[in-house]
Amino acid sequence: MITITAKSLRLNPLIQLKTVPKFRPRFASISARLDDSQQQLNLSVLRFTFGIPGFDESYLPRWIGYGFGSLIVLNHLLGSDSVTVAQLRSEALGISLAAFSVSLPYLGKFLKGSTPIDQTTLPEGAEQIFVMSQNVSVSQKEDLAWATYVLLRNTNSTSVLILAQGQLCVRGYWDVPDVVSKDDLLDWFKSKVEETGLSDLTDTLYFPQVGDAEFWRMLPQGTRSVLVQLVQIDPKSTNNETRSTEGFVLLASSIRYAYGDKDRAWIRAISNKLRSKD
Amino acid sequence: MEAGRILHIAIPWSPRPRPRRPRSSPLPNFPRFIRASSIQRGSYKGPKPGRDWIADWVSKNDDTVRSLPIYVGGASLLAVLFNRAVSGIAPVADASSSQSRADLLTLGLAVTNILAGLVWLSIRPKTITPVDPQGVECKVIYPHLSQSVVSEMFWAWESLSAVTCCRSLVIVYDCKCIVQIGVAAKLQNDDNPVALDAAKLMQGSLYQGVLKSGAQSYLANLSLYPGRSELPFLPSNTQAVILQPLGDKGIAILGGDIIRGFTTSDQAWITYVGDKLDATLAKYMSNKPAVVQE
Repeated sequence: MITITAKSLRLNPLIQLKTVPKFRPRFASISARLDDSQQQLNLSVLRFTFGIPGFDESYLPRWIGYGFGSLIVLNHLLGSDSVTVAQLRSEALGISLAAFSVSLPYLGKFLKGSTPIDQTTLPEGAEQIFVMSQNVSVSQKEDLAWATYVLLRNTNSTSVLILAQGQLCVRGYWDVPDVVSKDDLLDWFKSKVEETGLSDLTDTLYFPQVGDAEFWRMLPQGTRSVLVQLVQIDPKSTNNETRSTEGFVLLASSIRYAYGDKDRAWIRAISNKLRSKD
Repeated sequence: MEAGRILHIAIPWSPRPRPRRPRSSPLPNFPRFIRASSIQRGSYKGPKPGRDWIADWVSKNDDTVRSLPIYVGGASLLAVLFNRAVSGIAPVADASSSQSRADLLTLGLAVTNILAGLVWLSIRPKTITPVDPQGVECKVIYPHLSQSVVSEMFWAWESLSAVTCCRSLVIVYDCKCIVQIGVAAKLQNDDNPVALDAAKLMQGSLYQGVLKSGAQSYLANLSLYPGRSELPFLPSNTQAVILQPLGDKGIAILGGDIIRGFTTSDQAWITYVGDKLDATLAKYMSNKPAVVQE
């Protein structure tokens, strides 16, 4: 098998040698020999769908794992009185295979090219709000409005809160207690930000999975991932400030692992827009 | 890129047990909220993210993990048959004895794993190497712009070049070349970049087509596109081009160095950045006192 791989590598100079693992799967190396244009073997015929809308087939290994695993246990319990060693071995193998199958969708989520499976759900009991600090300049108001709009449209976020140069802008679904009137919304958010001390962060934080912790009480119910992106001072600017950040952008989403690398890169770019211009 | 580090977290807050996940130690209880009397800033009191070992390991060993279910399934298949052979039972596929039933279920699971591994192999994205654009670096800005507009243009260029595969950016608005940044094609004999003829571009078919449709146009593989001749200012080996209309008076042209290098999310973001640039430029053009003729 190793000789076949070496021959195919010489035919295709485009294959990057350093990414070839020691044991290349047989199917892929055969395809490299047959086809010069580095086409992978077309295994997409194996991807099937039941055609039921809302039914996600990538979770099928998990259900098969649960189903077959429970059948193996049932078979063991209802089987004949004498359970041979061979059967025990076979069942142990089956149970460990079932456990592995159950974890397959979770592992597959981190592979390159996987699409997010969950859809964002709108949080219940939260209402949509859009508030901004009073004394902002016109250009800053446009920037904040556009940035919040784009972040809500283009990422998997349900809520966004921006604190930049002392000005606050909140948009999206938030769980505000009923006692807070419309005029006090801004003060309520300001007090929440001060309580949690978010304005003193020194690093960008990304929580792909949060539970219902007290800390995130101000976010709507059902928030599953949170990203706090700091607005960094331009390293090329001539101001000699001791602080390295000017504020933060807080994004909350109702699905876990909501922000991939590309999303975070774009969110960083948007936060650069909110820097103060010297 | 900025110096900010991004830390990942995998604190299993939910009580559901996961079969393969190492349990991280529980966080210490942080104090309840401290009410501040004036606008004082306390230090950050929230949870700190931990490391997500599984996600990092899977991302690093992408190829191995893709073929892992195939090996696991294949090995278990062989193990079941070997087990049958060693125990002296005939390899007959009937469901009469409980041993056979257990074996059949295990075989079913092994086949599921093999198929899942093959599916993962089929969705592996092709790695395409970027092609270094041939040309000279240039940075041409329309001279009569205000400082805020210039900083916005620079912000757009820095974001696009940092996040996407964009290597050249040209913005034409109101028959004027506003911005030409990045790598530009160079003239035959000297090292100067090819000058942009804004009027000719705006009369060309590319611009007219984009204007009429009002939507972004993505030329994923520029070498296949006959309208290439209308973009002489881009490097000759530009791989992908996005034409983004800015309202109905301008166009932004982005040249990338990877075939099909702009993903769908990039396209969506570029549309919104284009809207913002259009709003800024429109406001600037309407506020300008007089047009300076060159």
